[in-house]
Amino acid sequence: MILLKFKRKALISFVCVLTGFMIAIQFQSTQKPDIRETRDVWEIRKQLQTEQKKQLLLYNQITESERILEEYSEKSEQEQLNTLKESTEVLKEKAGLTEKKGKGLLITIEPLFENESERVESYPSITPDLLNRLINELNTYGAEDIAIENERIINLTPIRYVNGKTYVNNHALPGIPLKLKVLSPNPKRLLDYVQVSESKDYFAIEDLSLSAEIKNGLVLPGYEGVVDLEGIKVKEQAEAGE
Amino acid sequence: MWLPALCLIVGLSLGLMTDITVPDQYSNYLSIAVLAALDTIFGGIRAHLEGLFNEKVFLTGFFFNIILAALLAFLGVQLGVDLYLAAVFAFGVRLFQNIAIIRRVLIDKKQKNVEM
Repeated sequence: MILLKFKRKALISFVCVLTGFMIAIQFQSTQKPDIRETRDVWEIRKQLQTEQKKQLLLYNQITESERILEEYSEKSEQEQLNTLKESTEVLKEKAGLTEKKGKGLLITIEPLFENESERVESYPSITPDLLNRLINELNTYGAEDIAIENERIINLTPIRYVNGKTYVNNHALPGIPLKLKVLSPNPKRLLDYVQVSESKDYFAIEDLSLSAEIKNGLVLPGYEGVVDLEGIKVKEQAEAGE
Repeated sequence: MWLPALCLIVGLSLGLMTDITVPDQYSNYLSIAVLAALDTIFGGIRAHLEGLFNEKVFLTGFFFNIILAALLAFLGVQLGVDLYLAAVFAFGVRLFQNIAIIRRVLIDKKQKNVEM
């Protein structure tokens, strides 16, 4: 009888242990891990650096704004008007709404293998992807202002593919050859970059060639459309790490 | 009565200490197995209180219920029907019933003690 009771107790205990074990595992599996700080020292340092840069930039902007404010408050009405005009001019130039002159690169996009007689003549066209890639690359290499033919590229410029044609600023691009005007404070460096850029290879795949030359006195047209900023918001938080 | 509780705690701490986790897609099976186990334990307690406890029924019930529930869940995954909900429902109802009966039996016992 005692043996039977012991056996029974052992059985129940065994089942209980098993059940407890299962519950614990289930509990652990469903528990979400805590979000931990996973950035290493390098990433934190980097972020700190960017934040410091941002701070410096903001300080500069504050000083600049304060200076303008001082000018407003100190001067007469006529002069105030002038200051206002000046600031709008500066802002317009920054946004790419005005004509701009300067030194830079003249990039010509032409068909490749034009003179080879054995090759069937083709009519290559430039795709938005290709153009986007080129513009991104130019911007990384330090281009300040870009214009494709007579279309000024601003921050909001759309490059789209519509009915077999590439549209920039909602205007169709003319056929090849195309000319790109790129302003840069250091055209020599930009030229070097362009000559070894990946874009050249990608253009070659599409039977297009890129050639660039340094020119002084390039004239970029202003952006002609309306800058529509509706629905655009400032993104407050930046992601850390790279 | 204290031994099962102690063993439950031992099992819990053992599981928490081993740091084992189950992949997300299998957590359904485990949850159902846990339900089946709980059902078996409460069923066992009830049977014990009613004096109908049988080791064989208890042990086979434990494993059989778990396996059946897991099979049902597996079948549900294969068929695209949430069949494991059936098991959850069945075990849930039985759990409530068992606990209700245990409560009644305990109350009866206490009243008998008071009357005596």
